Amino acid sequence: MTPRPQPALSARDIHKAFGRHRVLRGADLTVEPGQLVAVVGENGSGKSTLLKAIAGTLPVDRGEVALGGELGYCPQDPVLNSNLTVDQHLQYFAAAHRLSDLKRADELVDLLGFDKYRSTAAGDLSGGTRQKLNLTLALLHDPDVLLLDEPYQGFDWETYLRFWTLVEDLHRRDKAIVVITHLVFEQERFDLLADLVDGRLTPRSSQEKEVSHVPA
Amino acid sequence: MSLPDTAAGRPLYGQFPTALRFSVREQSRNRLAALLLGLFVPAWYLLMTSIAGDKGLDFKLYATGETLRVDGRHVTLITAGMNSLTMISGFVVFDAVRKALNFDRRLAFAGFRETTLIGAKLLAITIVTTSIALYTALALLIYWRPGFTGWGTVLLGFMAMTLTYGALGLLLGVLVKNDLEGFFLIIMGGLTDTFLQNPLGNPAANKPALQYFPSFGPMQFSVGGSLADTVMWRYLGIGCAWAAGFALVGLVVFHFRTRSRRPTR
Repeated sequence: MTPRPQPALSARDIHKAFGRHRVLRGADLTVEPGQLVAVVGENGSGKSTLLKAIAGTLPVDRGEVALGGELGYCPQDPVLNSNLTVDQHLQYFAAAHRLSDLKRADELVDLLGFDKYRSTAAGDLSGGTRQKLNLTLALLHDPDVLLLDEPYQGFDWETYLRFWTLVEDLHRRDKAIVVITHLVFEQERFDLLADLVDGRLTPRSSQEKEVSHVPA
Repeated sequence: MSLPDTAAGRPLYGQFPTALRFSVREQSRNRLAALLLGLFVPAWYLLMTSIAGDKGLDFKLYATGETLRVDGRHVTLITAGMNSLTMISGFVVFDAVRKALNFDRRLAFAGFRETTLIGAKLLAITIVTTSIALYTALALLIYWRPGFTGWGTVLLGFMAMTLTYGALGLLLGVLVKNDLEGFFLIIMGGLTDTFLQNPLGNPAANKPALQYFPSFGPMQFSVGGSLADTVMWRYLGIGCAWAAGFALVGLVVFHFRTRSRRPTR
């Protein structure tokens, strides 16, 4: 009998309250390498809170998170420095990840179509271009686990399609990807959909075989 | 599709020089502060000297215990310079640190060593604030030529003062919840602190209670060096200790604000 491979991401029994408002009440999420998971839910259901908790930017009240590789997190609101240009952001994060070149950054900038803004300060970029840079910074080091919080906000249709080309490539290369989405017509793209209701995740599999990945 | 090489090869950008370069850039891009520095400082000197007139004042030097009879304009120029520095340095650093806090947290999460980020930020603050002090000390020469040693002690006093309020800007930048709170604390703190040290505006300026204010050490050092030919290094040290204290507390808070909160087993 071959041992079951380690999941790329395992979040167990995550609890988080803001004052009396209990947003997460024991949310569980397990994502295998090469799995593309959508987290869906109403506004205010706690989707972004869950991703922040997994990413480690928000302290939780209870729960555990284990990662099977490097993490890339794309927050919902772009976290950029208005005084620095696109190129300077890339250099800063290349230094953070100790990258020996900027080839991957060049590819991402080219693919997402914002090459002409490389010398523009982030404070002068449009909302869509800021989001492209936000996403590029999350993908710069080719992480094993990706948390993308509504990553295509502000994208035009062409960039939106390019985004999915990018995700398909990552999917093919066995990256574990969690995307927060509102768009119903995207459902067929995912291996698994998980509804966040009453602070817990419930699987809504588009392919029955994937149901076991998210314990209720 | 090419993949980044993190395991082998030399990193393309060193963390410290990259962080230092961009920290200096973000702290020196504050146009309002540059305008204040260029126009406000000389205008403030002019205004304060015209208010002070030629009145003689008693100023107590704590190192020797003697009370000096000094030209009120000269003491006022020193306090006016320090007053400008507190506001400009505090404002520049507070604004830059506060705006970059979430970005710094993202960098730390991405693998930037916190100690490197903190070290670069501190050095950037030192470079920017001492440049501000140098300009303020040079602008002083328009109104008063205290001699080389005298001017040197004023410059060093200004540097200690600017570092203190730069460090306070750092502390407030990582601590307070909105801009208004930070600006209010810097402006009111700086005004109160420097105003109280001047016997022209405060008849109780020579009282011992003023020893517990951040500008006490730099003021004693600058006045001693420029008006009494006495260089009192210990008092410069007191000013630097305030700067170090604010910076230390600010960096501890910075560490807590940028650390990972991921609940691991």
